[in-house]
Amino acid sequence: MNNPKTTGRRLTLTIIGLFAIILVFSGKLIDIQVVRAAELNEQSLGKRAVAVKTYGARGDIVDANGVALASSVDRFDIQASPKVMLLVEEGGVDVKAQIAALAEATGADPVALEATLRANPDSDFAYIAKKVTLETRTAVKDLKIGWVTDAINPSRTYPLGAVGGNVVGFLGTDGPLAGLEFSYDECLKPTPGTSTYEKSKDGVRLPGSTVVTQEAVDGGTLKLTIDSDFQWFVQEQIAAQAQATGSDWATALVVRVSDGHIMAVADYPSVDPNNVDGVPTTALGSLAFSTPYEPGSTLKPITAASLIDAGLASPNTQVVAPGRIYFPNGQYIRDVWAHGDLNLTMTGVIMNSSNTGISKLSDLMSKQTRFDYMKKFGIGTRTGAFPGESAGSLREIEGWDQITNYALTFGQGVSTTSAQVASVYQTLGNGGVRMPLTLVEGCELPDGTVTDLPSTEGVRVVSETAAQQTVEMMETVVTQSALKNVLNVPGYRIAAKTGTAQVEQGGVYGKERIVSVAGLVPADNPQYAIVVTMGLPDIMKTSAAAAPTFENITSQVIKTFRVEPSTTPAPTLPLTW
Amino acid sequence: MSNALATAIPARRPAQAPARHIEIVPTRDQRRARPRAVYALTAVIGVFALFGVQLLLSIVLSDGAYQISSLQGQQRQLTREAQALNEDLDLLASPQNLASQAETLGMVVGTSAPTFLRLSDGSVTGQPSAAAAGTAGALGSDGGLVPNSLLDDQAALAAGAAAATATDTTTSAPTGASSPPSSGGNVASNGGTLPSPQTR
Repeated sequence: MNNPKTTGRRLTLTIIGLFAIILVFSGKLIDIQVVRAAELNEQSLGKRAVAVKTYGARGDIVDANGVALASSVDRFDIQASPKVMLLVEEGGVDVKAQIAALAEATGADPVALEATLRANPDSDFAYIAKKVTLETRTAVKDLKIGWVTDAINPSRTYPLGAVGGNVVGFLGTDGPLAGLEFSYDECLKPTPGTSTYEKSKDGVRLPGSTVVTQEAVDGGTLKLTIDSDFQWFVQEQIAAQAQATGSDWATALVVRVSDGHIMAVADYPSVDPNNVDGVPTTALGSLAFSTPYEPGSTLKPITAASLIDAGLASPNTQVVAPGRIYFPNGQYIRDVWAHGDLNLTMTGVIMNSSNTGISKLSDLMSKQTRFDYMKKFGIGTRTGAFPGESAGSLREIEGWDQITNYALTFGQGVSTTSAQVASVYQTLGNGGVRMPLTLVEGCELPDGTVTDLPSTEGVRVVSETAAQQTVEMMETVVTQSALKNVLNVPGYRIAAKTGTAQVEQGGVYGKERIVSVAGLVPADNPQYAIVVTMGLPDIMKTSAAAAPTFENITSQVIKTFRVEPSTTPAPTLPLTW
Repeated sequence: MSNALATAIPARRPAQAPARHIEIVPTRDQRRARPRAVYALTAVIGVFALFGVQLLLSIVLSDGAYQISSLQGQQRQLTREAQALNEDLDLLASPQNLASQAETLGMVVGTSAPTFLRLSDGSVTGQPSAAAAGTAGALGSDGGLVPNSLLDDQAALAAGAAAATATDTTTSAPTGASSPPSSGGNVASNGGTLPSPQTR
């Protein structure tokens, strides 16, 4: 019978039991939802979510007009799975025909390709072709071969080939190896990012599930001061002349005097970054910056300008230049041509490039002053335009013996790079103010900020008058010297100085020469400095080897940079007295 | 012994009393308090409708996700194609290619000193003179000393393709532009020939 008490007890027990179960469940619930929530969430995300590393693109290297010298491109590696290929073959598919089609599409040898694919039957991975273009990849994809896949392989291309290759540099398998690619890697390299999203079984992103943890950032664009078309012209010119004269190497620089920006810096031989193996390892860099040599008479204008600036001489200062200057111990210095005593003005010394004449003139100035002027002109100091360049060498005064004392006035006994010589002429053309030689204009990051801006501070080396008078003296080389028919450009006043430097071989000066011509155009108001150097020519061991190239490059400077013809005639300066 | 429940001692039935149907009449308030069917129906239909809409929304979202995925794939492909075309363009604009194309067209480097034409007043500075016959082109006799291996690769591919198509001759011969020397030479795309229309 229904005893109210027992019913009540049963009811109570039921309710207690119910609550106990609820307690257990809520305990479990709290444990899952609150205590272990984070860990379980992470686990679940890991099963469904994909953390994708996103890559930015390496920055371009461009010239002054924005033409790309180095750019990042997508290339593709075509891969295959030999294991799957064999499975497919067992299934009755004509794999041989597929391999033949693949070989045709990628330009590989079908026999070799088949051998590679059949070499490791258990392997799941084999390369068919590396770094193919989009065209080839599309052709391969159109073949619809099931056991072939492709992966993206970001690469670098240099669309202008060897133009500027000496300074741009190149990449190796792990990163940049030379040139500006190497030294400005911080600017050029991209920052990878990560993005996490949850994907469905067929790889489609679940809506609303993307969480970009970090955006990938592209590398910055490195802007150079060179003009690529003009650079090509200069490289062609020195290459042709170097081959014609049998020179081992050649360099040329064209610098805008107003700000020290390099318009062209050419080397021969130089590398095509697309084909690094095509040149010997000595040609992988830029000789114009890295290899110092004794420049010879192209440094005579430094002595002349220093003398004028110190107030010790003028273009009309008279000096008696002997054929040879003898020293007590029997050593002597001599001019290139044999002559007796000549009555030359300083202009005449420059025009004839008389070593003895400039040596005697330098007696007017103390060693310390001469040394200081050379230092101010940048001799013995890096120009700062190109990381890894050489500083050349200028001995301290204590190390000057009697020969070096005079030899320095005509550019022997001191070593400079072609870039330093170009900087000297930039100074003379810019009214005596040396602007820092500049190759890199800056690094423009994707967000618009520009870093690595070059210094624009000039240093006054000689007075404007001294520089101008030195340039006027150099004009006589173009108007009156033996090279006047080779060097002159009708309608334009050009100043130039030749140099035929002796080269030390085994402790003595031998028969080899390094010849150069350095100058400014237009001479009445210089805008561009040009330096052409031929290293160790086999035939024509005088500066006549570099002169035609100088004239061609100067003509091209006039055409490319729209230099207006000179309106005033050159001043007549006396060469003798 | 008292019982909680009262048991009715059945009394004797009254003789033949008529059975009467008694009902409690709900008051107006009681009637008002009873929930109406309409509301229940609305609630249930509403819930179903909400579920239905949610289902539709999630279908549309998933559809959208697939569309996004497909469009992103398209974008990727188009970006790559644009990049490849830009690459070709940069190559064609390289000085080596321009110089060799100029040579193919028969252009030569001017031999006179730099001359200028000022557009503002039409004045000519310098002494312009025609180049003599046999003047060298931009690349000179040595065929260009500043190499561009990318152009050489392209030329090799073009030469290979040209050789392959030359074997199967077609009825229409190319008219117009002259074909450049097939061996050596830095020649760019299409083997150097510009496709020209058939003229009558």
